[in-house]
Amino acid sequence: MTGISINQFSQRSDFEWEIPTNFRSDMRVPVRVFASRSLLLDALGGKSILQAVNASTLPGLVEAVMVMPDMHQGYGFPIGGVAATDPETGVISPGGIGYDINCGVRLLSSRITLEEIKDWVPSLATMINQICPSGVGVGGDLSLSKAELKEACTKGAQWAKTAGYETQEDIQFTEDNGCLVGADPTKLSERALERGRRQLGTLGGGNHFIEVDLITNVYDDQAARVMGLQKGEIAVQIHTGSRGFGHQICTDYVRRLQKTIIRFGFKLPDKQLVYAPIDSPEGRDYLGAMRCGANFAFLNRQLLANKVREAFEVVLAGRVDHWQLSQVYDLAHNIGKFENHFVNGEKKRLCVHRKGATRAFGPYSEGLPVAYQEIGQPVLVPGSMGTGSWVLTGTGRSMERSFGSCCHGAGRVMSRSQAKRKVWGEDLLKQLVKEGIEIRAGSMAGLAEEAPQAYKNVDQVVESVVGAGLARKVARLSPLIVIKG
Amino acid sequence: MSPHGYEEIDHTADLALRVWGEEFYSLLDHSAHGMYHLLGITANHTYPVEWMFMIEDGSRECMLVDFLSEVLYLCEDKKFVFNKFQYCHNDVNLKVHATGFQKVSMKRTIKAVTFHNLEIKETEFGLETTITFDV
Repeated sequence: MTGISINQFSQRSDFEWEIPTNFRSDMRVPVRVFASRSLLLDALGGKSILQAVNASTLPGLVEAVMVMPDMHQGYGFPIGGVAATDPETGVISPGGIGYDINCGVRLLSSRITLEEIKDWVPSLATMINQICPSGVGVGGDLSLSKAELKEACTKGAQWAKTAGYETQEDIQFTEDNGCLVGADPTKLSERALERGRRQLGTLGGGNHFIEVDLITNVYDDQAARVMGLQKGEIAVQIHTGSRGFGHQICTDYVRRLQKTIIRFGFKLPDKQLVYAPIDSPEGRDYLGAMRCGANFAFLNRQLLANKVREAFEVVLAGRVDHWQLSQVYDLAHNIGKFENHFVNGEKKRLCVHRKGATRAFGPYSEGLPVAYQEIGQPVLVPGSMGTGSWVLTGTGRSMERSFGSCCHGAGRVMSRSQAKRKVWGEDLLKQLVKEGIEIRAGSMAGLAEEAPQAYKNVDQVVESVVGAGLARKVARLSPLIVIKG
Repeated sequence: MSPHGYEEIDHTADLALRVWGEEFYSLLDHSAHGMYHLLGITANHTYPVEWMFMIEDGSRECMLVDFLSEVLYLCEDKKFVFNKFQYCHNDVNLKVHATGFQKVSMKRTIKAVTFHNLEIKETEFGLETTITFDV
């Protein structure tokens, strides 16, 4: 229990709540929560709101620390947290971005119907699982020299293009065109480089996955048409991040900042919230290294997307008319970036931390591909394994209330050990197969940890962000194939 | 109390261990063994390994995270699983001489050892702390 009750919030709407700064003397900005009453009450049983209050003590914060309805306990910042700081007076906190830098989701669309694919689903699952390296400690088939890795993490997904792995369309439909400018590989440790050079093109374990989905519902015909999503057709989601490379970058800088934080003379409510002023040698070094991690992740998802395309070609070419996959969008949900936002009517450049939160820019926002200018940015919200996922679009309201941010998934409600106590992996596998889902998983225990019961209802999470006006519904997807490491 | 010097405690998204020891070195030992337990390690006892590494002197919390981060790296990258650690501490660093076996497999990945609410407390039995791992 954290001692925070719903009575301590001021309710702004059915889906927006705020804890004022007088709640705790060290808060610098309010905490703004986007959730239904029911999801907020559930969250108060955990530590996510307390962690948001802790995050609200960082120097240079602007407007509020925001929390999305898929919030759950993290380390330092809550998962589902968004915090923006002033580049001149504010700080950057590696804990506000996380160890898996640019963990994110890529969505691919197809013209393949369920009728066309149904006989080939098991073969496709096996082929994707065979081609895409996944699981604990599994390396990729691409081994780069350190010099090649430095180049790759400077160019991001655009490196894939020069190496023949990427099309212009993929880059255009990737957040920031798949490359954060300002990546500086001289700020990486030897260990980060060593860990990264053999992990490109790998899925990893935990909650990372590749899913082949059926588009079951379309709610916005125009947006769906623009994205190439049609009811009854197949789509693919890839969820992974920067692997050991990103983990090492965050480890290195959280450790380094433990030493330097002392000189700023500020007592942190949690050591994981260490920070550096953005305009400081440590802040600049971290930003340079973190952008390398982000670019690695964009590239990683690109390489996996190519492998999935290869699997589709091997299994479906000659059997269906159009087996090709087109990129809908690729986005980050653990990242720190400089963006322009309006604060009190004035356009300001801010450093936006998103940890377990997705960018959700509204129509005509800076940085959107031309095709999405009218509809807004696609927002990809994967649900738990065996349930459903959502495609949304960002709105003008998200630009006003959440620095153009939205939820990133369903959000956990059950710890991993609780899930394993309540769910038997083999039973879950049988149940999912009975529901018509092909599963390829590295371990039954890992499967149990990711059981649908361990997560919130993704539909309720989406109702909250739509209710708060942060996003609009476009389509709902149901899984046919789930590949887990 | 678990006889191992550690027990897993609930964390919604990640993993956490409560660890205790009579003094700092036994706290380090139990933390490493607890982390191996979380990783679900199996080792090949016919292939012994030996390794030395150094941890920079600092607060006990920083040294604990550095130690576990190194043990985690050696497990993932070199496939080393240690069952015995010997320590030599001077003003500059902590030298660790580790012996153990080659790793055969592990059931999960730990991304990192975090500083989340990390505080090593003195108790009537020695030292105790709770460590959160990002998974």
